[in-house]
Amino acid sequence: MKKIAITGMGIIAPPGTDKVGFWQNLVSGKSFISPITRFDAAAYPSQIAGQIAEVDTSYLSPRLLKKMDRFSVLALVATEKALQDAGVDLSQEDPYATGIFLGNALGGWLYAETELRDLYVEGRAGVSPYMASAWFPAAPQGQVSIHYGIKGHSKTVISDKASALMAIGHAANIVGKRKLKFALAGGTEAPVTPYALLCCSTEGSLSRGPYRPFDKERDGFVVGEGAAVIVLEDAELARQRGATIHGLITGFATSCDGAHRIMPDPEGKGLIKAISAALARADYKTDEIDYISADGIATQVGDISEAKAIKNVFGPRGRKIPVSAPKSTFGHLLGAAGAVDLVITVLAMQQGSIPPTTNYQTPDAECDLDYVVNGCREHEIKKALIISRGRGGVNTVLTVERSQ
Amino acid sequence: MDKVSEKVRELFVKSFHLEPDEVTDEADLQRDLEMDSTEVVELVVALEQEFEIKITDGEITNRQKFGDVVQTIRSKLVS
Repeated sequence: MKKIAITGMGIIAPPGTDKVGFWQNLVSGKSFISPITRFDAAAYPSQIAGQIAEVDTSYLSPRLLKKMDRFSVLALVATEKALQDAGVDLSQEDPYATGIFLGNALGGWLYAETELRDLYVEGRAGVSPYMASAWFPAAPQGQVSIHYGIKGHSKTVISDKASALMAIGHAANIVGKRKLKFALAGGTEAPVTPYALLCCSTEGSLSRGPYRPFDKERDGFVVGEGAAVIVLEDAELARQRGATIHGLITGFATSCDGAHRIMPDPEGKGLIKAISAALARADYKTDEIDYISADGIATQVGDISEAKAIKNVFGPRGRKIPVSAPKSTFGHLLGAAGAVDLVITVLAMQQGSIPPTTNYQTPDAECDLDYVVNGCREHEIKKALIISRGRGGVNTVLTVERSQ
Repeated sequence: MDKVSEKVRELFVKSFHLEPDEVTDEADLQRDLEMDSTEVVELVVALEQEFEIKITDGEITNRQKFGDVVQTIRSKLVS
């Protein structure tokens, strides 16, 4: 696979609303998971989430804001930050040479829930006319493309928690074929709403807290909200325009377990295929990977099958590669998680430091990898592998390397 | 300016965050005020509530001018 440059990164998540503040908070040792305050969650088994305290939308018009769900707002904010970071002014570019690739898992449920309540209570006249265009999964793609006048090859990816990483992989493929000059890619999610949390609860994978991947006492994940968007360009063209290259996407693969409607294959067979295929596309040998950003869903079968797959592909060295799931600090951003993991991995490469998996206390004999836990580890990363998995057995793997 | 026109203009300004001097009788809803079809639905509901009238589908569209909307409301109020 042709190497694709990451030239801009925009993030808005519980630890921070810019990449510098995000990183500083992520490595501070603080937790960004707290009791849910948006609504009364007393009747829910899981009453905690990663929540963003304040989103600066001052540059967006009130006329536009009232037509959007929070997940579209977060996507717009992250996109603006990514473009600023890349130093790209899309108003000066060919609109057909830019595309937007966004993932999400749930859609715009805050908007949908309140309007559906009005529909049942007040009837048809009580429903906002903006409901139809606010809740649906492709709404963020639409709003971002309208805001920036983007008209090139674009795509909304819905693959549960693997959505964002899959969107980035598809975007990298399209840029690699030089069908686009710029691809904006990532994910967005706003799951801290009564119905969205209910759906996550009934799936049976939500933790009562803490969120502790790989720990023997783990009981599931905790939801978080936010968005991350990156700017992708052909590496050669990016260098020609003098762009700062934060990192390079070098491989991407996806597979499907075909095993269970929610849980992954317990032996990680599909994930083994996806990791092997991503390494092959990157032309990497297994001993070249020096960091793995894990999915770390914190279910019993999820973490064990992920460990099995890593050991199967990497052999004895699989136990020596540092592995982490820093999302334990701020929550699982579902359809945005893979993009956040990629931003964290690139920042870790730049800083020479791996953010930890937090809340880890009790080792599990079946999760026997070299997990980075409870504190950062200084470590030089040249080539990394990112795993993102979704319900129903979706496996997505991306390889990324440091820019020289 | 009559009271109906004034009330409708206020409603446009408030609902769609417009400047009062943008909302002239000749302002085209789509071209000048950039209103899409969903905003027309919001407008119709607001007009029905404000004037306690019934507006049927297609009576007000974003292909009309502000003055046309005022005229539609005025005709309903006298009938």
